[in-house]
Amino acid sequence: MSSVSRKFLAAGAAMGLALLAACDGGGGGGTSGGGLVGPAAAPSPAPTPAGVTLDDSVRLAQQASFGPTVALVERIRALGVPGWLDEQFGATGSTYADLATDVRSDSCAAGDTACTTLRFTRTPVAMRFYADAITAPDQLRQRVAFALSQMIVASEAAVRSTAGIAAFNQLFLTNAFGNYRDLLLAVTMNGYMGDYLDMADSRRGTPSENYAREFLQLFSMGPDQLAMDGTPQRDASGGTIPNYTADDIREVARALTGWTYARVGNAAATDNQAIAYAQPMIAVPGRYDSAEKKFLGTTVAAGASQQASVAAVIDAAFNHGSTPPFVARHLITHLVTPNPSPAYIGRVAAVFVNNGSGVRGDLKAVVRAILTDAEARTPQPSSGGKLKEPVLAMTSLARAIGVTTDGYVFQVRDATIAQPVMRAPSVFNFYPDDFPLPGSATLRSPASKLLTSSTVLRLHNLVYDWTVSGDAGRSEYAAVSTIPGSSGSVPVWADWEAFGDNVDGMVDRINLLLFANGLTKAQRDALKAAGVAVTIADPKLQARKRAQMMLYVAGTSPMFLVDR
Amino acid sequence: MSLSRRDFVRLTAGTGALAALGQFGRTAAIAAPTGSFRAMVGIFLFGGNDGWNMVIPTDARHSAYLASRGSVGIPRTSLTPLTNSSYALHPAMAALRPIWDEGALALVLNAGTLFAPLTKATYQSRTDLRPANLMSHSDEQDHWQGLRARETSRDGFLGRIADKMSGGSLPPVISLAGATVGVLGRQTTPLILPSSGGLPARSGFTAGGTAKNSAITALGSNADGYAVLDGVAGDVTRSYDQAVTANTILAGTAPTDAFFVNPTTGAALTSDLAKQLMIVARMIAARGTLGHARQNFLVSQGGYDTHSGQVQAGSTATGLHANLLGDLAMAMAGFHKAMGSLGLAGNVTSFTMSDFGRTYLGNGQSGTDHAWGSNHIVMGGDVAPGAVLGRYPDPVLGGADDITKEGRFVPAVAQEEYLGAIARWHGVADADLPYVFPNWSTWSSAGRGPLALFRA
Repeated sequence: MSSVSRKFLAAGAAMGLALLAACDGGGGGGTSGGGLVGPAAAPSPAPTPAGVTLDDSVRLAQQASFGPTVALVERIRALGVPGWLDEQFGATGSTYADLATDVRSDSCAAGDTACTTLRFTRTPVAMRFYADAITAPDQLRQRVAFALSQMIVASEAAVRSTAGIAAFNQLFLTNAFGNYRDLLLAVTMNGYMGDYLDMADSRRGTPSENYAREFLQLFSMGPDQLAMDGTPQRDASGGTIPNYTADDIREVARALTGWTYARVGNAAATDNQAIAYAQPMIAVPGRYDSAEKKFLGTTVAAGASQQASVAAVIDAAFNHGSTPPFVARHLITHLVTPNPSPAYIGRVAAVFVNNGSGVRGDLKAVVRAILTDAEARTPQPSSGGKLKEPVLAMTSLARAIGVTTDGYVFQVRDATIAQPVMRAPSVFNFYPDDFPLPGSATLRSPASKLLTSSTVLRLHNLVYDWTVSGDAGRSEYAAVSTIPGSSGSVPVWADWEAFGDNVDGMVDRINLLLFANGLTKAQRDALKAAGVAVTIADPKLQARKRAQMMLYVAGTSPMFLVDR
Repeated sequence: MSLSRRDFVRLTAGTGALAALGQFGRTAAIAAPTGSFRAMVGIFLFGGNDGWNMVIPTDARHSAYLASRGSVGIPRTSLTPLTNSSYALHPAMAALRPIWDEGALALVLNAGTLFAPLTKATYQSRTDLRPANLMSHSDEQDHWQGLRARETSRDGFLGRIADKMSGGSLPPVISLAGATVGVLGRQTTPLILPSSGGLPARSGFTAGGTAKNSAITALGSNADGYAVLDGVAGDVTRSYDQAVTANTILAGTAPTDAFFVNPTTGAALTSDLAKQLMIVARMIAARGTLGHARQNFLVSQGGYDTHSGQVQAGSTATGLHANLLGDLAMAMAGFHKAMGSLGLAGNVTSFTMSDFGRTYLGNGQSGTDHAWGSNHIVMGGDVAPGAVLGRYPDPVLGGADDITKEGRFVPAVAQEEYLGAIARWHGVADADLPYVFPNWSTWSSAGRGPLALFRA
């Protein structure tokens, strides 16, 4: 195939890209400015260009969970969007807190790989991530935490501490519906992050600028001055306007000097085998630069305490004008669409500024505004669509099939599909939010960065392995003897066997959970034919194998990968 | 110390050779130079390589170097000397010394992102001429690859060169560094390969006319007209097609693999970069099969964001940076030998790129912070032997070239002058240089232009 021509699989694919306004979000007219959602009637979904009507309860599940299930879709239908969100804001279930017990880094015997895996890798935390993503009820909290963890990144690639990874990621679960300022402060003082971006042991005279820079660029305001709707402000020459200078970075770095790790037990502050990554950092007054600092329009007086210096940094970032649209855009990108209209960003940013009760940074209100906005609740225009990141493709398939799991197999597989959670290649996450959709002049598609030949094939084979080859006895589903409490994974094929010879029922369920009812009649017929072509004498086995075949066809389709 | 000799490019005004060579109106861009096959191999050092410790002056300036570098300076006695040159390489880069002696290595001093020629004074007075978001990893990686210093890029120079090249059975622009903007064209898509191993086959799929395959086709159609779905469907289809072809090259072993060894111990190299360059060597060896008269590659090595532990305190020739540069030098040397075995040493040019240089002044954690200009190295049988191009900055902190107090130097050489020289060598026609390098006019006039990197 020529490398030049983009191959389209169907004639008549709307190639009117040039006709689409760059920022056509298609929504508009949203009413969630105050974060107060009344019992508004569900918006009547517009039909897609192909004439099918997408199921909005499934669409919300795609945006707010790790994948639709029958029970989840029924719950959303029963409560309505605002009611379901309220229930989710109160839901609990996911936690890493019990995994956040610090140990000495020399506490495993040489060559004891089982011990090393449990104490110095992401494995136990990533297992929990997936076990909770598949079955814990607080789905929205986990999705928001996952989105935040891809904005404020620390990674096992550089710092290997199970307790640290657990404590760091617990911050996102804890604060997912809390206040963004609390999250910024907790992250800044976290020992694991302290190692990852070198704030720990930064000292006066020659401070490290690493944390200072990434905190401003990635965790709060971003590099450029933004209007409230997320569009970059321009100066007279048409250039973007930087939010901070090299001097600001240096001064912030000075304000963040004088911290080191807490230590395990009563170990000395110099004992680097005893770093307590899961604890907030502690002050080392002798290394703190107590002279006057000036940054971002703020002055910290000489002699101010270390805590006051940190608070001044947090406040300057939290209260900066670019922070609301920057955070809003990131969360919209990860939950709903990478191509929101400026108006949508503006509406959400306004809620970040004021939740309706005068509070800035209320993430619960922000998440509510994102998910109740008309632009989220009506199907994407043809310029829209959100490619599932590999993790969500994997969890969505598993939840649609039905599985109980300890998470182990998922954290083996996520490394093969280019998105090992908690092990991003750098502080810039697995992909930038503005990665372009290949072949498009205007659209963004962050997850497309990961959709290489290798990932496409490995994702295809994962789907095949977990469907056509996915019977309960599959060896990768087995419990792992070296991990205490490991129970393995068990797919619930009984739910599919219960359809018996009702192939239409299976097709309906696949159409609902994987496509939000987006299949055309021709596609439904083709899918059904693939199922019916499987014939086995044993009716139960035949039902299972038909379901597996159809789930394979559906799960490997580009349509499954794109939420609309 | 003096400014390097510069080529003056005469842009032939509108060649009119826009004869449509295919649906995107490719120009007859690659005027076939003698010796025919050419490949560019960009080596991106992600994180911001400390080029000041990769290429180090050994003359009287070394004491000024030591005085200004603080915690990260390396003593002269441990450096890797370069014959007949006043510069040395990092102690860990001894594997490249024979290649220098062979005349196949060149040094580029203080190159970086520039929108227009700048001095310290004009940097301070003309904010409208500054590149956007200097010292930001993401923006500077984008600048190096996209060559638009004041805006973000959706495509990059290697991809845009491919826009002007003829394809083959696989795309002629190949990334072992993932999907990154440098290899994205406006009309072409790159081949993106894993850094090691082959591509798996499609489990459970056999071509044919079964109901299953009909369903796969039906659900693969994107009649809904969603742009993202179009793009994804195209990606998926391309991946299946490419994997089959690529695997014939990626599978098993190849004769060129054997050159990737540690020159001291003879042990096979295991670094990720060595594995990537091994695949590059295979792809070059397969150029005839693939129908490629030209190829471009992007490989990468991560870990250069050395804010702490860049050097071992008390033993500055060792540490994180030494480990990285050791892997880099050995992988490059192995690759050069592999090219020699194919008789193609002079047909392939490898060159380093990186986000930015680092502060000259080391910090209190034996590390360095983000800066601007930096040194780079270029390797290939056609480079001008012993070439040292560009201008080493005044190493005084806060001095003539330092825009701060920590040693952040205004680049003397723009990316366009550096990469443009390699693109011209590769065969990009003068008429296409403004397409490949959007700011080309700034860097091809008024005494600026491509570096004299190659043999005349």
